[in-house]
Formats: sequence, C-alpha cells, structure tokens
Amino acid sequence: MKLRGTVAAALASAGILLAGWQTGTQVNGISTVASSTTATGTTGATGSGSSGAGSSGAGSSGAAGSSGPTGSSSTSGSSGSSGTSGSSSSSGSGSSSGSGTYKGNTVQTRFGPVQVQITVANGKITDVTALQLTNTDGKSIQISNRAAPLLRSKVLAAQSANVQTVSGATITSNAYLTSLQAAIDAANL
Amino acid sequence: MNTQLLPAVPAASSSGRPELSSTKRPARGWFARQYRRRMLRADLLTVIAWASVAAAVALWLADGGATNISSPAALFTAAGIVAGLAGMDLVLLMLLLAARIPFIDRTIGHDRALEFHGKLGKPSLYLLLAHGLLLVIGYGMAEGLDPVSESINLWVQVPDMWLAFVSMALFIAVVVTSLVAVRRRFPYEFWYVVHLLTYAAVATSIPHQFSVGGLFAAGTWQRWYWLAICIYTGSALVYFRILEPVLATARHQLTVARVESVAPGVVNIVMRGRKLDQLAGTGGRFFIWRFLAPGMWWHPHPFSLSAEPVFTGPDSQGTLRVTVRNLGNGSAQLLRLRKGTKVALEGPYGLLSTAARTTNKVVMIGAGIGITPLRALLETTPFAPGEATVLLRGHTEGELYLGSEILDLCQARGVRLFHLTGPRSRTKSPWLPEDAVRNGYSLTSYVPDVADADVYVCGPAAWAANVIADAGKAGAPEEQIHHERFNW
Repeated sequence: MKLRGTVAAALASAGILLAGWQTGTQVNGISTVASSTTATGTTGATGSGSSGAGSSGAGSSGAAGSSGPTGSSSTSGSSGSSGTSGSSSSSGSGSSSGSGTYKGNTVQTRFGPVQVQITVANGKITDVTALQLTNTDGKSIQISNRAAPLLRSKVLAAQSANVQTVSGATITSNAYLTSLQAAIDAANL
Repeated sequence: MNTQLLPAVPAASSSGRPELSSTKRPARGWFARQYRRRMLRADLLTVIAWASVAAAVALWLADGGATNISSPAALFTAAGIVAGLAGMDLVLLMLLLAARIPFIDRTIGHDRALEFHGKLGKPSLYLLLAHGLLLVIGYGMAEGLDPVSESINLWVQVPDMWLAFVSMALFIAVVVTSLVAVRRRFPYEFWYVVHLLTYAAVATSIPHQFSVGGLFAAGTWQRWYWLAICIYTGSALVYFRILEPVLATARHQLTVARVESVAPGVVNIVMRGRKLDQLAGTGGRFFIWRFLAPGMWWHPHPFSLSAEPVFTGPDSQGTLRVTVRNLGNGSAQLLRLRKGTKVALEGPYGLLSTAARTTNKVVMIGAGIGITPLRALLETTPFAPGEATVLLRGHTEGELYLGSEILDLCQARGVRLFHLTGPRSRTKSPWLPEDAVRNGYSLTSYVPDVADADVYVCGPAAWAANVIADAGKAGAPEEQIHHERFNW
C-alpha cells in the first residue's frame, strides 16, 4: 500500500516536471516572427530571432512611416542569447543625418518592454534616454535602474550600439541596444 | 424526575457510502473494504503532496527557467528560485496538515497529520534559508557585489523585500522554538504563541513572491496557480480552524450541567446541549473543549467523550460527558467548574474510532484516564459477541476509572474483560503488572487471537509504546494497531 502510494506519487511528479520542462523549452524554442509593417517606399525586412531567444512577445510593429517625414527603416531583431527579440522598425522625425531626436522601436522582453530615444546634434549622439525599461517586477526595476546609466555612458563614448552588455542585466542590455540600433538607423548615422 | 433514556443513533452520513447504523457487526469483509478505501485516500494524499512540490518546480521550468542558465550567477539564482518555490510549497502543505481538514483527518488521523507537519518543518526551513542565500549570492555575482551588500541593496531598493527578510527571521524563530528540546523547556502556551507567528511569517513572505519574482508577474498563468493554492490554504485554515468550531459551538449550545466525582482527582463533566445526534458515534475521537469562564476560556482541553450522548428531549437535546483527571496545567480548575458555564467545542478529530477498523475482532487496552475514551468506543464500535476483549490497567482497582460501567457494557455485549492491577513489571512487558509477568502471562495469554484483531491502545505515551511493541511481536500488523497522542 505504501509502495503503491510512493510509486504513484513519483510517477505523477515526474510527469508534471516533464510537462513543465516541455513547456519551458517550447517557449524558448519558438522563434519569434517579427513582422513589421511600414509605410510605402520603405523596405520592410522581416526576420526571425535566430538565436533561440526568450520571449514570444513579438516586437511592436513600427507604425511610423506615414506620419513623419520618411526615413523609417526596419531591421530584423535578432538579438543575443538573452531573450530579446522583436522587430525593430523605427521612425525618426527630421531628416537623415541631421539633428533632432529619434525613437527606437519598442523591444519586448520577458521582463517588460524596452524603448530608447537618442538625441542627435550634428551627426553625433549627444544623449540617450530610456523611454521604457524592464519593469515587470521589483528585481528587474532594480536591474534597469542600474544598467541604464552604464549603457548610456558606454553608448555616448562609443557613438554606436556596438558596446558590451552590462553583466547581470543581459536581457535589459540587449533590448536597450536593439532599440538603440533602430534609433541610430532612423537617424541615418 | 424520571427521564426516558433514548438509545443513541449514530449521525446520518451525507457521503452516500454505506455507513454503520448499529453496533451489530457488518458482514465479513466490510471493515477490510473500509480499510482499502482509507488506504486509497492516503495514497491520493501522498500523490497530491508530492505532485504539488513537482508542480512548484514545473512552474519555473515552464517559464523557461532551466534554459536561461548561462552563467554561474544564473545557476545560483535558478537554484535559489527553485528552493524558494519548493520551500513555500512545503510551508503550504504544513499549514494544510495542521488545518484539521476532515478528509485528511479521516484518512490518516489528526495525530499522524501533525507528525508529518512536524517532519516538514526542518526541510522547509532549510529550503527557505537556501532560497535567501542562493539568491543573494546569485544576484550579487551578477552585479559584482558581495552577498552582504546585495542583501542591503535588496532590502533598500526592492519593494517588499524587507518584508521577506522579516519573514525569514520569523520562520527561523518558529522552527527553532518548535524543536522538541525547546518545546520541553518552555511552557506549552509560550510555544503555542510562537507557533502562531507562522501565520505572520507566511503573510510577510507573500508580497515579495508576487512583486519581486518575474515568474509570478501580472498576467502569467503561474501567478494564478500560485494565488489559487495560497488562497485555498488560507481558506481551509479559516474555515476548519475558526469558522467550523464557532458554528459547532453555536449549534450545540453546550453548558456545564454538573461535575461528578469519579475517583480522587477524577471527575465526570456532564454537559447539556442540543443537536447531539451529530456527535453520536464519535467514541474514541477527541474534541477540543474551552470552558468559557474567566481565566479558563483561552485554555484548550483535548478530551474524548467517555460515553455516548444521552438524549432527553426534542431536537436531539441531551447530555454528553467527558471524564477528566487532574493533571495540573489548567485541568485542576476543571474540578471546580460552575454549573451553567458555556462550553465551546472543536471537533471531533482523530482516528481512534470505528473509522480505523480493519477487521472484525477488537481489542481495547487502556490505562488510567486513557480507559475513558475506550469506554465510549466500546459502547458503539460494531462487533459480534465474543469478538472483543478489553484490558484495563491501573495501579489499583480504584484507578480503573469507569470500571463498573465498562463491566456492564462488557456483560451486555459479550466482551472478555481483564483487570490488570498492581505495580508494573520490571523485567519484560513493562506495561503489565509484575505478578502477571512473573506468572508467565503475556499479551497473547489474554488475547490469543490478537494478530487478527484491531488493537486500540490508550494511555500514557511510554506505557502505550510498550503495549504496541508487544502487539507487534504477537503478530498484529501495523495497520491494525490504533494509538493516538492527545498532547498536542
């Protein structure tokens, strides 16, 4: 009788764990198809996150093109191993390689959306502002608050999105840099 | 006044299963089937308990937790999260085991439920400690901080985390004070109040589970599952430990009718109430009584009925009785209870009853005040004449409380009865009197067929342990031996 209970319990537990494992790998296995719809005359490239990344929340499709002057471009959102993926389509206000502010697209992560805006003066990035940062829970807010200033100073120094991620904030960093790249593209830097 | 005494009728069952309606023994195999059903329920409980722990870990797996481990820091963090999930699940199981849920009580009994509850204490504390330590190390590594600075960081910067630290301190306090050694050193009431801190510990731990961990972020199904099990546990505690006792107290409206002396330091407390038919057939099970008088109401007394309810009027009005020995610790006051004192009751609890029967034959072995619950069980548990044996143990005949009532019952129902008196044996079978052992008597001399019988043992813990050892040696399997501690 005891044996029967133990065996049944072990089987049930193993089944539940296996189901959990399956669900978990499927969540991460789904490559996010990030489609972006853009206004006419722009190239819309769609791509799928190639590196087995995290959330299934597709990036927000950039709705831009039609409103402002042209110059909305789409980049596919393949990101690092850390779970960000999403389409990057961004809209910039102002003409190419000029001055002004440019918003990157919103990148969804499993800890919340990330979006940055850059300020460009004479072809140089003079400021990076985080419009949205990972904020689903207390821990990710703490991470965001720590990572954002570090990333900003790195980007201002490098003048590109090609900077090291902040350790312990990989997901936030990758999303931040993806959005940043879209903003840079929009500014045609 | 000459009142007609009506025979007791066991409570009607709403479960739809065949229930015993008299003391007449049911057909062969009935008790065996009852036992198989009970074991099936026990297995179900085992499965639920283990599956809930697995489910807690599966929540994290389903969120892709295991696939995101890419660094040592992430490994520590992952282990910390899993430890926290499993630890909280064990805490919820502990609360459920202590919630006096009827399904658990009639399957494994209050006594064993609390035994499992106690066994889970240390593992859950270790898991929760590991949860805190691993996460502080994991987060600290990710951010390049030592664990202490990370802890301060978490306390200061992350909302709800300071509550989690308070909760951890409370859990440590509860488990440390609950360890048996500590329990002996402090009075029971102190231990009990510290135990109530568990509720504070669980309550303060809940906010951070939902706000800090990303796993239970708003909108996830994991959040709903976790909320559901927390709410279920809380509701079970409130309903079965608070609401049900209040309702039972209001339903039966018990008052003390009289206090009669049975022997020096031993009294019958007779209580009058209504709807007592619902308390019939509970012989051997115990209730927690509170006598609502100044200075007494907060003291819970676990006593079994020492007789079936006696009905004297409509609406199942009547009297019921407990027999109490002055063991200090508040029971001295009971000898001086005033007539008309209101009585609150919780219960019945426990499995020292007909519900535990596995076979047709019955043996009851009681010592001292432990004889009295067996007196009520003897009145109702079904058996045919010749199938039951009662052994009563005391230093003197005067210590065989309610001995004459038991003699009458034994004559009426065809039960063999032995009075075992005298100083206890110093050689073997220390539960027997010395002269019985010297004359070569053992358990099987009194009950040759003990191996085929349900053996109910009620008495002091050390004495009962000796009886149980002898019953085991005589061939009675574990499931036929029924014993419960009442000192919770």
